[in-house]
Amino acid sequence: VKAEERLERYAELAVRVGANVQQGQEVFVIPEIEHADLARALVRQAYLAGASYVHVFYRDEHVRKAMIELGPDSALAYTPAWEKELTEAMSDNALLATTGNADPELLADLDGDRVGRAIPLERAEIRQRQHLEQSVNWCAVGAPNAGWATQVFGEPDVERLWEKVAFCMRLDEADPVSAWREHLDRLRVRGDALTGLRPDALRYRGPDTDLTVGLLPSARWGSAGFRTSGGIDYVANMPTEEIFTTPDCRRAEGKIRSSLPLVLDGQMIRGLQLTLEEGRIVGVDAEQGADLIRGQLGTVENADRLGELALVTSESRVGQSETLFFDTLFDENATCHIAYGAGLPYAFDGEPDEGCNDAKLHVDFMVGGPELEVDALLADGSAVPLIRDENWQLQ
Amino acid sequence: MDERLERYAELAVRVGANVQPGQEVFLLANVEHRDLARALTRQAYRAGAAYVHVLYNDMHVRRALIELGPDEALTYAPEWRKTFNESMTGNAMIGTTGDPEPELLADLDGERVGRAVPRELVEIRMRQMSEDSVNWVGVGAPNEGWARQVFGEPDVERLWEKVAFCMRLDEPDPVAAWQDHLARLEARCEGLNELGADALQYRGPGTDLTVGLLRNVRWMSGSTDTRDGIRYVANMPTEEVFTSPDARRTEGTIRSTMPLPLQGQIVRGLELTFEQGRAVRVEAETGADLIRSHFATIENADRLGEVALVTKESRVGRSGTIFYDVLFDENATCHIAYGMGLPFLVDGEPDDGLNVANMHVDFMVGGPELEVDALLADGTVVPLVRNEEWQLA
Repeated sequence: VKAEERLERYAELAVRVGANVQQGQEVFVIPEIEHADLARALVRQAYLAGASYVHVFYRDEHVRKAMIELGPDSALAYTPAWEKELTEAMSDNALLATTGNADPELLADLDGDRVGRAIPLERAEIRQRQHLEQSVNWCAVGAPNAGWATQVFGEPDVERLWEKVAFCMRLDEADPVSAWREHLDRLRVRGDALTGLRPDALRYRGPDTDLTVGLLPSARWGSAGFRTSGGIDYVANMPTEEIFTTPDCRRAEGKIRSSLPLVLDGQMIRGLQLTLEEGRIVGVDAEQGADLIRGQLGTVENADRLGELALVTSESRVGQSETLFFDTLFDENATCHIAYGAGLPYAFDGEPDEGCNDAKLHVDFMVGGPELEVDALLADGSAVPLIRDENWQLQ
Repeated sequence: MDERLERYAELAVRVGANVQPGQEVFLLANVEHRDLARALTRQAYRAGAAYVHVLYNDMHVRRALIELGPDEALTYAPEWRKTFNESMTGNAMIGTTGDPEPELLADLDGERVGRAVPRELVEIRMRQMSEDSVNWVGVGAPNEGWARQVFGEPDVERLWEKVAFCMRLDEPDPVAAWQDHLARLEARCEGLNELGADALQYRGPGTDLTVGLLRNVRWMSGSTDTRDGIRYVANMPTEEVFTSPDARRTEGTIRSTMPLPLQGQIVRGLELTFEQGRAVRVEAETGADLIRSHFATIENADRLGEVALVTKESRVGRSGTIFYDVLFDENATCHIAYGMGLPFLVDGEPDDGLNVANMHVDFMVGGPELEVDALLADGTVVPLVRNEEWQLA
């Protein structure tokens, strides 16, 4: 497949399966400026899918850097009126966002406090509300670029990154759209089966791992296939390989070891081991980067409780690619993972249970691998195997 | 950090838009201009900007709109985009030029390309222009595509050197050099405004043209004041003093001295003959038909809208380069525009002699052999330009 054709097929998948752009919808494309090639293909495919208008708003991290470094304090959290209108206008329309950091170290030398404060609050609030209302059919996809490729491979081999990304996106399938539909169906069936089982807890066992995490009766196991309040089915993340839920943040006991390196705030965490008692992380060890995690758990309220459990099996294209992408959109789909910090309010039918953790951060780390065993523990004490040797066990 | 780039951006911010502390700055750049856009952002914050809004324009997105979008999309101006433009009022704006792909829309349906104008956005900018409520500047942003058009190869560094020369970046203190330069143009304007000439006369090879002038229409040069009194330089580079003539009083023939890139074609050796203000004959070595079609289809395109005088001090002229970008090329030498006159030059009520048309096309007429005289009402002839040098004391 020629690179141009691959780009168009990729964009088509994001538009038709991901955001599932409807005839007559307006489409908002919000890329980084280094993602222009993909952004342009997304625009073309959105019009081909019947978009009535495609709005493109390029972000530029260098502009953000200039603001943080040289701008006045009042600029940091400012949302211009036009940007509020742009964001509000997404309601009942479609959004395509791109990831793939072109320059991950760009802000590393800036004052951390100012970087942390540089969040346009009103924009974030509008997006938050749209999430809760489910008023936007949206999709995030990766946009290979030289900077991202350098981080992954140590050299700017964009073509190699494209091949990995295309593999994760099932672009090698004869009919990627129907391959995705089958894939999403399989995840949905898994989620429904696990929700139907109503387990009281999950148990993880493996090397240096023996952890039991309580579950909430009202929390569902979901997959990345969502539906807007207007009834449009969309896939918020592509790729997606996980089923996930929010655990009871008051009930976690034991220890767990991370099985993949974790990139966090420009640092690499290796060999992370957490010990939990009564829902709280009481011990943090790591071969590298333990202080950063301890700092987060020490300063951010409820960061020391769990917010998400996600199950991924060996069918994962991301896992099969054997690539560390240094991008959460990809890496969290490589294998089973757990997150400390904020729970997922949308994992509930209706209001979130009080066992759903409330925290200002959410950090995923990978725990899966061939030796990890995951069981569902039912209220009657019986154990139902969920994962063995990275294969799904529940029928 | 690229020092030349930062100095260039600083000049655009401090002399061009003249960004004031506490102003918001609106930056409109093509995706391919991002290096300059980033430098402009930095310099705007250094100059005390309260916030820098950056909106990248992408011609490929525009192409997709024209090629694949529905009809209604062509002229659609989204609300947020209107608010963006409206917010410029009382603030500063910086735009960049330098087309990275001049042929990008060439194979599309010309009628749809022509209709793809978000009219409401243009209207907001026109109102701001006539109110003079925005201090703004347009500057060039060298890029590969533009360099290829100029040199036949993507030699961006060479284009940067030409652009830097036109912008006086080789001067030890470019800001001071620009202030001197603007003062010189300003003095020329004052001289012409005091002279109150009734007409201009152009003489040279293939040229003998008389153009009537209007009493209440000023001569202007590079710097302008906003209604709030912020002095700005809307175009950088700028080398011209210009006015709008009496569109009813043009007689004779004028020959263009430089090729004119227009709508994907190049017009060479253009010769226009005027009677009673209107072009009655169009000749050219190439591209005459394009000009004839303008005159035939666009009302009043066949009358003049601007006369501009440029002398050999012009950095653009001295660069010996055709930039294929009107921001630069119109500052190379004396030029004339057919089409729309410039309403902001009128003191008081608009004059009937000021041309009204939906286009404005500049073409170059200057050169060493061109003589320009001012004709006064009493019949006196005052030389203005000889051998590309300014004559009026």
